[in-house]
Amino acid sequence: MNENGQGTPAIQARRLSRTFKGGIEAVRSVDLDVSEGEVFGFLGPNGAGKSTMVRMLCTLLPPTDGTAKVAGHDIVDEGDEVRRSIGVALQEIGLDPVQTGRELLELQCGLYGITGSAGRERAAELLELVGLTDAAERRTKTYSGGMKRRLDLASALVHQPRVLFLDEPTTGLDPASRLTVWEEVRSINASGTTIFLTTQYLEEADELCERLAIIDAGEIVAQGTPEALKAEIGKDVVSVELHGADAERTQQVIGELPGLDRVIAEQDALALLVENGAASIAEIVRRLDAADVEVGAISVSRPSLDDVFLEATGRRLEGAGTDHPDEAEREDEAAARAVAP
Amino acid sequence: MTEVLLLGRRAVREVVRYPEATIPTLFIPLFFLAVNIGQVSKTFPSTTPFLHGQGYVAFQMPVSLMFAVATATTGLALVTEIDGGYFDKLLVAPIRRTSLIVGRLGADLVRGIAASTVVLLAGLAFGAHIQSGPAGAVVIVLLASLFGVAYAGFGILVALTTRNVQATNTSFLLFFPLLFLTPNFVPFDRLSPVMETLARINPVSYVIVGLRSLIIDGWVIDKILVCLGVTLAMGVVLIGLSLRAIRNYDR
Repeated sequence: MNENGQGTPAIQARRLSRTFKGGIEAVRSVDLDVSEGEVFGFLGPNGAGKSTMVRMLCTLLPPTDGTAKVAGHDIVDEGDEVRRSIGVALQEIGLDPVQTGRELLELQCGLYGITGSAGRERAAELLELVGLTDAAERRTKTYSGGMKRRLDLASALVHQPRVLFLDEPTTGLDPASRLTVWEEVRSINASGTTIFLTTQYLEEADELCERLAIIDAGEIVAQGTPEALKAEIGKDVVSVELHGADAERTQQVIGELPGLDRVIAEQDALALLVENGAASIAEIVRRLDAADVEVGAISVSRPSLDDVFLEATGRRLEGAGTDHPDEAEREDEAAARAVAP
Repeated sequence: MTEVLLLGRRAVREVVRYPEATIPTLFIPLFFLAVNIGQVSKTFPSTTPFLHGQGYVAFQMPVSLMFAVATATTGLALVTEIDGGYFDKLLVAPIRRTSLIVGRLGADLVRGIAASTVVLLAGLAFGAHIQSGPAGAVVIVLLASLFGVAYAGFGILVALTTRNVQATNTSFLLFFPLLFLTPNFVPFDRLSPVMETLARINPVSYVIVGLRSLIIDGWVIDKILVCLGVTLAMGVVLIGLSLRAIRNYDR
């Protein structure tokens, strides 16, 4: 049993770290326990270190410090055993554009020792599972983004892996394709496969993950079930949109509000963690009126994962990372694929 | 072994399905053959002693064969795969990393056989005669293809170490000095002393000489063995380095 009392760890990391050339610390001393059979989320903004973490756990990149075991095997000393136990769908969809969907899956089967009629049957089964039977004879370069993602997912499943790594499986997909992937993730997990899923989408983490870790700048800033993480905040979140009002002055005016735990200044907004949000709003409005401070909308909500991220890092997950998410993602990927130190 | 066959079959499929990647590599050797014959055949008529009664096309064929088989195609295919992410997918499969290279080299052999056959047939169409006969023609194709496989090791090495499409593409330019610092236009003894020295230390010279002997002289075993030995030595070094590069890839 692991420290969470949830069975043998499918993944266990201790002080796992990766520093790239030039001293870039992509992952810093990460401790992690993922139980057999669970869907574990790894939530963080672009450039937080999610892909680097996945690449280390999949044996694609050696750690510069710390240790990790996947399916009971050390990622450095027992790489072959780890690779036999895992399936991987990386953020960058890895498909060979020259092959048809069926050829690609049959080759993948062959690489895992499933050859001949067994390989052909398994490929057909997986094409059916991801709804690509009709497109099986087309070259993958003609597939849409959603089809490519589903085929990539199928190719990670040929050998019925114990642990499946999905690195941002829905990034770039339209809402309908995203829902399809979610359904597939649930169905794969229902068959007993442990899933380690990285995502930058709060809703995805909330929907799919039994437990999750939030990573920011290479460090785990929070870890637990989504409900527990939200409950840990223990407060309502009152958002005050500033609409041009001075943040410091507004904060001064609101002052020592009864039940106020913390005020977090965001871009053009204040987030107030208070014991009773509904009751606080009237008092906030009264104080702002008295001081003649005009603000935008004031709303109250139960804590979300974004609020968990906000409390841990001081900023919202959406839009976090860099000013140019695409660029940051490319940098993260490039760093993850860069040459060893 | 199964994984090598599977990956080799995939690489051959790539060659067949992307003729646009192979056909341009045939243009230069055929163009080179036609232009050289057109320009130099009057300077070196068939009465020229080193031609042994043949036209200049017979003397030039080995150079065109080298051009046809020594390409950056495999290196480019590999670096494109690295860039596109499929290479990572293959790396996380429980296979020997070296299989990824060996499988691709199998496709190089197929491509080399096809390309050198086309050049050989073009040479015959231009009037060359294979002195060593049909069996010699087969040996010419096999030796040239083997050289193509050995040289592919260089492109793979550049692809794995730079992971850059442009660098891999331009690495092919290195083949020009290797090909031209040889007795490509005239025999060793007709070169200037400096050029002769450079040509004699260039291993590619001995591959050209070996192939040429099969076309012009017949079965000159020592030249053929030297040609084979140099090709194998180049293969051991270049493919050996590329196998080491893939074993150490991100490790």
